[in-house]
Order: sequence, then C-alpha cells, then structure tokens
Amino acid sequence: MERSDIYILCIEDEQEVLDAVVRDLEKLEEQFPVETANSAEEARDVIEKLLDDDKKIGLILCDHILPGDNGVELLIELHNDERTHASRKVLLTGQAGLDDTVRALNEARLHHYIPKPWTREELLEAAVNLLTDFVIEEEENILPYMSTLDAEKISESIRTRRSISDE
Amino acid sequence: MKSGSSGLTTVQITGLFLGIFGLILPFLLPLGTLSFAGHIGLGIFIMAAIFWMFEPIPIYATSMLVILLQIVLLSAQGPMYMDAKLPSGEPVELQENTWQIPANALKGDNTVLVVTEPGKTEPVRVDVIERNGRHVIVRSEELSADQSIVTDTGHRLVNYQPNSYTDYLGTLANPIIILFLGGFMLAEASVKYNLDKNLTRYLLSPFGSKPRFIILGLMLVTAALSAFMSNTATAAMMVTVILPIIAQLEPGDRFKFGLALSIPIAANIGGITTPIGTPPNAIVIAALTEYGISISFTDWIILAAPLVVIMLLFAWWLLLILFPPSVERFKLDIKGKLNTKPKAIGLYVIFAATVLLWITENQHGIPSSMVAFLPVAALVTGSILNKNDIRNLPWDVLWLMAGGISLGIGMDKTGLAVWMISGLDWGAMGYITLILVFALVAVGMSNFLSNTVTATLMMPLVISLHTSGVMGDSFNLLVTGIVIAVACSLAMALPISTPPNAIAMSTGIIRTKDMARVGVIIGAVGVMLVLAYAVFYWPLVTN
Repeated sequence: MERSDIYILCIEDEQEVLDAVVRDLEKLEEQFPVETANSAEEARDVIEKLLDDDKKIGLILCDHILPGDNGVELLIELHNDERTHASRKVLLTGQAGLDDTVRALNEARLHHYIPKPWTREELLEAAVNLLTDFVIEEEENILPYMSTLDAEKISESIRTRRSISDE
Repeated sequence: MKSGSSGLTTVQITGLFLGIFGLILPFLLPLGTLSFAGHIGLGIFIMAAIFWMFEPIPIYATSMLVILLQIVLLSAQGPMYMDAKLPSGEPVELQENTWQIPANALKGDNTVLVVTEPGKTEPVRVDVIERNGRHVIVRSEELSADQSIVTDTGHRLVNYQPNSYTDYLGTLANPIIILFLGGFMLAEASVKYNLDKNLTRYLLSPFGSKPRFIILGLMLVTAALSAFMSNTATAAMMVTVILPIIAQLEPGDRFKFGLALSIPIAANIGGITTPIGTPPNAIVIAALTEYGISISFTDWIILAAPLVVIMLLFAWWLLLILFPPSVERFKLDIKGKLNTKPKAIGLYVIFAATVLLWITENQHGIPSSMVAFLPVAALVTGSILNKNDIRNLPWDVLWLMAGGISLGIGMDKTGLAVWMISGLDWGAMGYITLILVFALVAVGMSNFLSNTVTATLMMPLVISLHTSGVMGDSFNLLVTGIVIAVACSLAMALPISTPPNAIAMSTGIIRTKDMARVGVIIGAVGVMLVLAYAVFYWPLVTN
C-alpha cells in the first residue's frame, strides 16, 4: 500500500486515550499517516508543518476538553480556514455539553460525533466513510484508495463523475 | 503514473526530453527520399509516440499538441508554408535533347523533377554532360521546353502540397467524433437518470441465482452496456453490483477472483461490438473513411458481434475453470426503481430511437453520425441534460481521438506513412502472416499503451500498405483495419492495460498474477480467433 499525502490528525490531551485512538486506526495508517497533538496549540503547529510540506489533512478527530482552547473552538477555526475547510471533522468526546455540540454542528459543520466510550468498529467505520468522502471530493485519482476505503462509493463516483475515461 | 502536485517522475522527465529530441531528430538523419514535410511529420510522430508512451503530459494533451504542431508546421496557412512557392523554371534547350538547367535542379541520383500538377512532381532521368558552377548541361529525350522543372530539389514544397489548417482542426467535428459525442451524451443521461443500473437489474434477473449463470449474466450485461457506453463507466457501475456479492463469500474463497475479473474482461470485449463501443474503433473507421471505405453501424455489428459473443463465452468458461464457484446460490440485490418522471421517459424514448436507427443503418441508409445528432440536440432541447452535464462529458476522449485522426492525416499528406513502410519487403511476408503480426503487435502494444494510441500509431501503416500496393491484390484494407480495432481491445493482461482493469484491480480483490494469467490467455486465444475471422468470415461479409 502506497502512503498517501493525506493525513489523519488526532487531538486529545490524555495520552492513553490518544494511544487508543491511534491503535484503532492502525488499519488505515499505512495509507493515511496519523499525526497526534495534545492541545489545540500543538495541533495548529502540526497542521502548519503538514501544510507547508504540501500534505493534506483528510480527517481531524478532536476531543472537546483540551488545555487552552477547547475542541469545538479549534474545529470552528479549522472550518473557517480554507486550507482545512475540506478536512472531515469529528468530535470525539464524552464531555461536550449541548451548547458546545450545537455550536460545533452549526459553526464547524461537524461531520461526525463519536461519544466516549467508543468501539473500534464504530471509529473505524466513521473514519473510512469520512475519508472516502474526502478523497472523492478532493483527489484527482481516487483509484489508490479503493481497497482501503469504501470501494462501492468510490466506484459509484467514477460512474457518475467520469473522473476516469476510456482511453 | 502520478499526477498533480507531486511533480514528474524520472520516467516522465526522460520521456519529455526524448520526445522533444524526437521532434528534431529527423532533421539530423539522412532520410533519403523523405520529403521535407515528411521530416516534420516524422518528428511530430516520434514526439507523439514517445509522449504517449511515457506520459510526461496527459495523453489527450499530446493529441492537442499534435494538432497545434500540424497547423503551425504543416498547414498551408502556417508560418512554414504561408508564403512558400515551389521554385520552378523552364529548362533551356541548347540543342536537340540537350538542356541547361540550374545546378540545384539536379538531384543526387541524376534525376530532374518535372512538375506535373500543383504539388506533384515526377522524376525524369537525365545524363549529365557538363557541370559549370551554377548550371548543369544534361541530355534527355523526355524533357521539353514548355515543361516546368523544380529549380531547387531540396525545397520544402517538393512532393508536398500542404492542406488547410482547417483539415487538422476539423478533426474534432469529424463524423466519427460526432458519433461518439452522441454516444457520450446518451451515456451521460443514462447515468444521470440511472438507466444503466435499472437496465442491469432487469437484464440480470433472468439469470437466476446460480453462481455460474450470474457470472454469465454479469458478463453479457456488462458487454452489452459497454457496447454503447464507455467501458470504464460500465465497469465502475458493475463493480458496485459485484461488491455486495463478494461480501457474501468467505474471505479465502477463490471464486471472488473470477467474479471481479469478469467485469473488466466483459467491459473490454464489449467495446468491440459497435463503432461507438470504444475509441480505437473510431480511429480505424476514420482512417478507412479517408480512403473512401465507409462502414455502417450495422456492418460493424455484423462483423464484430459474432467475435464478441465467442470471446465472452470463452472467457466465461475460462473463469469458471480457473475459479470454480464454491457456493450453491447467491442473492443478487440491486437497489433502485425505474425513474418514471417525464424527463427520464424522454431519455428512454430518445435512447431507444437512436439505438434502433443506428443498428438499422443498412435498412434506411441514414449515416449513424447524422443519427447521432438526434440525441445531441434532443437531450438538451428537452432539458434532459443541462449545461453542467455537457461540461461533464469526456471531452478529453474526443480530443484524444481527434488528435489521433489528425496525426493520421498528416502522415498521409506528407508521404511519411508510405515512406515508413518502404524499408521492408512486406509482400514477402504474405497476407495471413501480416494479419497475424499486426494483431500480435496491436495486442502487445495496447497492453502497455492506451488502446486509442495503439490504433493511432498502427493505422497509418495499414493505410499505406494499401495505397502503395506492395501487398498485392490479396490485401483487404477493411479487414486489416478491423483486425487492428479488435486486437487493441483484446489487451487486458495488466492493471494498466485498460481503465476497467485498473478499476477492478483497485478493489484489492484480484491479484495481478490472476489478471495477467487470464489476460494473456484471452489475448492469445483472441488473436487466433481474429486470424480465423480475418481469413474465413470477414472477407465473406465485406465483399
């Protein structure tokens, strides 16, 4: 499997939880490298560094309670930044109140909400779906992602969008 | 090949430089009898071939570049030929059969070029008596005082009558391209209103739930759809049909290889069935039409369909032998409901009418390209397709074909095509051997190159074998053309051979070695079958 330049970013302040998320995403890591951050501040640095290297951020999994700015604030900021606008955004949390969750939905166009505790299948399925949408929307050549992501959806997009033609 | 921001690979950079070098290479070589324009044509041909092979730029971009180079370097209105006049003059008769001519009028092989009609000259042998600087005195009984002779035999207009740039640009409106445009718009509308999926659902239902018949059904439906739609779009759609079936199988079940391979195989073979099935057919038909051989939609189906059916049945048998079904029955569940909104009904009517008019061309005589404008105009008139849908058409494929047709025109006009075949004693090869060699080369090349490009590179040679007459009376241009078209579509041994192969391989279900094994067998059996048809069946139908 060839490593793509699409990254998954996990933001979580508790190291054990972060490790668990990364472990659950292991199946995807070969193609979508995983970067981690413990705070919103660190996440911004990681994002800047990746974007400077011409990498893309396909998926952002973010805890709500973080030191400094909280997760919802960070996601809103990333939604408004055109470079991370297309990135799929997931709030992975047990502690976000209704107000914060509503803000995340309305202002960050949150793509998915995963309440803690989660199961590996649940997390993986969400990640696969969201990354599939991301590559269909953003990538010119989507064939390399078919075997790891949702092959049916990718075939369907080839059929309807004619991204590949007879030669 | 990688594309986008990642930059060019080493192979692509090599190709880029080789291609640019190829463009000027003919001027660095002594190419004897090839005209000046032929040198330009050869340079464009080498560059295009290298660009198409190494893909430093997309293949459709190479096609567009070919047209640009041709209108600039070869057309009558381009800077190269805009003001050019063939330098000619009358020979001065000193005494009977003794003439004084300019030194540059004498070619190295002691011939003088007599202008017979604009752009055409004929060599006349002369005996040199005396050379004195700027003039030569020669003896010849064939020259006469009222004849015009070329006074500079190295001139760029010698043996070349440049054609208008509109001939090269006009290839995008070539009738065969319009035929494809009609097909593309029907396909676009079919996808938009899910006609392709609904047809698949109806057509598959009689095949029941036994695995072997499901595979047969999948292959026949895939082939039937790809005969009228793009092979790639058909394969992509059918992959969405087979993935749920494969999900019902045990992970280690080898039957899934057969299932996943059946789609690209049938899509590749299905394209052979009709003129609009796949782009190589267009290249062949356009080249034949240039030579006054018209082939109707009906004729093409009569020629190609019997071969398609046999190849499909063979491939079906092969897949069942290699990957026998492991379960008794499958549940085949394609979701969807026939769209009955007025626009969708409009599409069904236009689709049915167009296909009916196409396949009955021999009965009513209306050319298929003319019929093709029915869906083009009707689909937009009825707002069945809107302007976004039109923008979504595969214009790259139309330009790819147009560039291919244009390259063929240039090769013919410049005398390049005839020159290229002149080096070999083709007649010694025999017609059947020639067919076999052409089929093998076409299958071999298009396993690695685009099928359209393979047809583009080979058709000019086929045409010049015909025009030069070196093959004698046994040579059948129409049959040889069809051999090329069919052989280009029989290449499916590698993931890169065709886009349907690439899609099937990308699912991660098949291994490359399975695809290679099945693809090589199908290619080999296909070539044998093509040979048999070329000898026994096609001549019967075409004569």
